[in-house]
Amino acid sequence: MKILVVEDELKTGNFLKQGLLEAGFGVDLARDGDDGLHYALTDAYDLVVLDVMLPGIDGWAVLQGIRKSGKDMPVLFLSARDQVDDRVRGLELGADDYLVKPFAFSELLARVRTLLRRGGKTTESEFLRAANLELDLMRRRVSRSGKRIDLTAKEFALLELLLRRQGEVLPRSLIASQVWDMNFDSDTNVIEVAVRRLRAKMDDGFEPKLIRTVRGMGYVLEASECD
Amino acid sequence: MRLSGRRSMTVRLTMLFALSSTVVLLLLGNLIAGSLERHFEEQDMEVLTGKLKLAQHALERVRSTVDLDVLPQHLDDSLVGHHGLELVVVAPEGQILFATSGAEFPQSLLESHVRVDSARPIVWTTKGNHPLRGISALARTGIKDAQPVVVAVATDISHHEHFMSSFRITLWSFVALAALLTGFLGWLAVRRGLAPLQAIRHEAAGITAHRLDSRLSADAVPVELAELVEALNEMLARLEDSFRRLSDFSSDIAHELRTPVTNLLTQTQVTLSKARASDEYCDVLASNAEELERLSRMIADMLFLARSDNDLVIPDREPLDLIDEVKGLFEFYEALAEEKSIVLTCSGSGVVSGDRLMLRRAISNLLSNALRHTPVGGRIAVHVDDTGDSVVKLSMENPGDSIAREHLPRLFDRFYRVDSSRQRLSEGAGLGLAITRSILRAHGGEAVIRSERGTTVCELNVPV
Repeated sequence: MKILVVEDELKTGNFLKQGLLEAGFGVDLARDGDDGLHYALTDAYDLVVLDVMLPGIDGWAVLQGIRKSGKDMPVLFLSARDQVDDRVRGLELGADDYLVKPFAFSELLARVRTLLRRGGKTTESEFLRAANLELDLMRRRVSRSGKRIDLTAKEFALLELLLRRQGEVLPRSLIASQVWDMNFDSDTNVIEVAVRRLRAKMDDGFEPKLIRTVRGMGYVLEASECD
Repeated sequence: MRLSGRRSMTVRLTMLFALSSTVVLLLLGNLIAGSLERHFEEQDMEVLTGKLKLAQHALERVRSTVDLDVLPQHLDDSLVGHHGLELVVVAPEGQILFATSGAEFPQSLLESHVRVDSARPIVWTTKGNHPLRGISALARTGIKDAQPVVVAVATDISHHEHFMSSFRITLWSFVALAALLTGFLGWLAVRRGLAPLQAIRHEAAGITAHRLDSRLSADAVPVELAELVEALNEMLARLEDSFRRLSDFSSDIAHELRTPVTNLLTQTQVTLSKARASDEYCDVLASNAEELERLSRMIADMLFLARSDNDLVIPDREPLDLIDEVKGLFEFYEALAEEKSIVLTCSGSGVVSGDRLMLRRAISNLLSNALRHTPVGGRIAVHVDDTGDSVVKLSMENPGDSIAREHLPRLFDRFYRVDSSRQRLSEGAGLGLAITRSILRAHGGEAVIRSERGTTVCELNVPV
């Protein structure tokens, strides 16, 4: 998977590149709009992360140039201004998602993965599994080592999300948005509490421990025992 | 005094003053002149009717045509001592039986069928330019079967006219002078009368941003201006309040930012001061990330508030049943509530047209606030009520320490905390309620909070 990052801010660009590289993507970094458009048109990318405010031609023009050439890879744009107009304009021009600065890297990573998954085919299976954990989507049942675990509807949805995106660190905001449809930051530790309660039900008394807190980032469900 | 387009109040009042006193004086002058003239006329009439009677009397004594010869003598006698009195006697055939030397009567007075009686004397001017006032009457002679003759009598009124014209000149010059004088006096009076306005202007000129606490002295001004001064003082109070909030906000921002930035900087620099195990680096970075996440949330919240201050927050409206939103939020906060054994209940219903995300956020802020302050085992009750007055009222009631009255109006202010000594809360930067209020205002609604006897009630009034 190859990602093009168009970002003029030096540090932001470097960290985005490093972060995405370490997450297992191939990354090219362009420092201005002209370079960005040139890269996007000459190479094949699976996704473009595009800053709106750029020297040379701006992000909108890059986006238009990409779409005009007939390329339809997903574009996630970064906006410094939390303006409705900006969002609407970006989405109208053919962007697939947006993030408002300042944003958490974990959030960006989660969005990038969502966008990349959108293109590929997901095989809808009846069961989701990790180690000895099994989630039966049809019958809405969860068991561990064959032992039935009772979960509330929201706990089930939370576990399903973590299982579907095994190995990915999911930021709290993404969890709140996907499980409860709450698209804003709560100033409480409600996600923490919800994860803790879920963990108490399906991790306590079982081995290996599956849900792990990644401090400062979010939560991840991993079957690997090593940390 | 300003002259540019706007008229000065002093000039206006002075003009009005002069004008009204002139009108009064003119009316008075007219009244005096009128009654003087009437008085002269009455005087003339007294003389004229007397003489007319005398003439009629003399005519009655004429028994035969012979007596007509002595008639002038009789009539002359009766006119003795009355200078300027003219008399004429005209026979029915038009023959003049008697006339004084200067008798110059208009024809209308001498015709037997048109009589000018004593009630309506007429005035005319002779060729010698003497104004005369006269009346006429029919008189029977002593001659049997003779037609009555016409007797006309007139008096010279030139001395009256002279008097009247000099009187008028005096009167009008007096009126003109008086108008000027009252104008001047009025100007002085107005200047004195408006002095309190000048005083207020001076006081107001002394009020600057640094001295917003000063007020105009209401005791020193006349009652008419007391209300104005009061209104100005109220405006100053509002300005002072807004100004204080604004400067509080700025210093709050600085304070709120300084603490986490100091933490970040100190922690990072201490960590960098010597080589450490990778676990330690991880710890520091994770703690930094948490701190930064909070900072970034705060910045986003402040941006939202700044945009709402500039009316840039425009709700994307759709029909919403508030109770559905409340239920969704209850599910979200379920885990947190159960941790504290808090029961969440909701009742009622009410559909509004609003921005789903924003209103959820507004209610969520209230709910997280209520969860924070409700003691373990408490109950948070939400009731949605369509008041029928095109407003849906959402009230959220929770037990907890009563909030002192003086804090209530400021609870929705940014960074406002009841306990000012309290440092940053573990959660939230004190912007939640401010955001709730901004969202409600963007929807044309209002948020209020009440607290008494251990119960706090937040109310959101959302227009339908």
